[in-house]
Amino acid sequence: MASNPMQQFTVHRIGPEIKIAGIDLSFTNASLFMVISASIILLFLFLASKEKKLIPSKIQLIGEMSYTFVAKMISDTAGSKAKPYFPFIFCLFMFVLFCNMVGMLPYSFTVTSHIIVTLIMALFIFVAVTIIGFIKHGFKYLSIFIPSGVPAVLLPLITIIEIISYLSRPVSLSVRLFANMMAGHTMLKVFGGFVVSLGILGGWLPLSFSVALTGLEILVAFLQAYVFAILTCIYLNDALNLHH
Amino acid sequence: MKSLFCLAMAIGAINQDLFAAEAGMPQLDPKYWASQTFWLILVFTALYILISNFYLPKIKSNLDNRENKIKEDLENANKFKKQSEVKLKEYEIILENAKKEVIKINNESKNILTKDIQSKKELMEKEIEKEILKAQKEISELKKNSISSIQDISKNIASNIIENISGDKLNESSIKATVEEVSKKNINKYL
Repeated sequence: MASNPMQQFTVHRIGPEIKIAGIDLSFTNASLFMVISASIILLFLFLASKEKKLIPSKIQLIGEMSYTFVAKMISDTAGSKAKPYFPFIFCLFMFVLFCNMVGMLPYSFTVTSHIIVTLIMALFIFVAVTIIGFIKHGFKYLSIFIPSGVPAVLLPLITIIEIISYLSRPVSLSVRLFANMMAGHTMLKVFGGFVVSLGILGGWLPLSFSVALTGLEILVAFLQAYVFAILTCIYLNDALNLHH
Repeated sequence: MKSLFCLAMAIGAINQDLFAAEAGMPQLDPKYWASQTFWLILVFTALYILISNFYLPKIKSNLDNRENKIKEDLENANKFKKQSEVKLKEYEIILENAKKEVIKINNESKNILTKDIQSKKELMEKEIEKEILKAQKEISELKKNSISSIQDISKNIASNIIENISGDKLNESSIKATVEEVSKKNINKYL
């Protein structure tokens, strides 16, 4: 059923079935678009760092701007202690951004519109940040759940709320990205379907909506990549600088 | 965004009966979850290794190079500026000294010249005075000489006239005395 707006999210196998220890690890269209996004990032960075001009060329300037953009984001939110994690944040930001952007192309697949992908990334960040927190501060890291300046009566309640909010971080992080991407693409598909079903006379209105939504979705694609990266920085900040 | 999402879901639910069974959201179908996880980790790890080992150091070194170059250039510019300021001061001092010297030389040469002119003038005036004195002496001598020769001439003329008129020859000394007397009377008219 081609007009199903959710059909664009189906994953199907490409090539032979790969099974390791009874688990299906086949190469799918999702995998393909992960590889495509990663290749585009690598190609972009290759072109951006190929020449080392004192006065940068356009592509070199874009590469340097993305570098300074992420570097500034990290130093603003997490301070200088977060410098060793810069490559990871940069990589994460670029990966999410390019997956989102590649997903905006017609007939493509949006990797980040799958909850499992965003959840794995968010869980990895959550676990890594927690481990970093415990390594840096030991058991003192648990004081993150006890905000300072709270009356003793409220302390148990606040602590429980803090623990719940801390544990819900991977869920909120992953669902935010996944839901935004899925909703946007579903909307585009729905309005696209309206254009077809209303035909040449009535289809103009949904078509103009579709055009406007495409612009909005490109903005959202960038914004969500930014939000994902900056939230990671904020979590990292909590783990590195234990005060709030 | 959330309201758009809800709208889309509502439209989808009405039109396509979305939430019915597995056909609804392919994302919730666990068939390929393991595969997606596996490929995500693989691709992301590869991307991370490549980016952090190759591209980021390259971009960073280039950015650092540029920053250093700019800093160096600025430092050089400042250094040159200071140097030029020092040179300018030196130049001003030299210029001032030169001006002073010019004034000094000017004054000196003026003084020398005026002295020279003064001395030459004095010399000239003395010489002129001498010449004038000499000329006056000559003139007065000439006058004296002319008086005696005039007396002689007038004596001769007087004796000749007397001789011719009277035929007598008078005593020369009396004629001389008379001429001298007359000439003494009248000499002041001519001298």
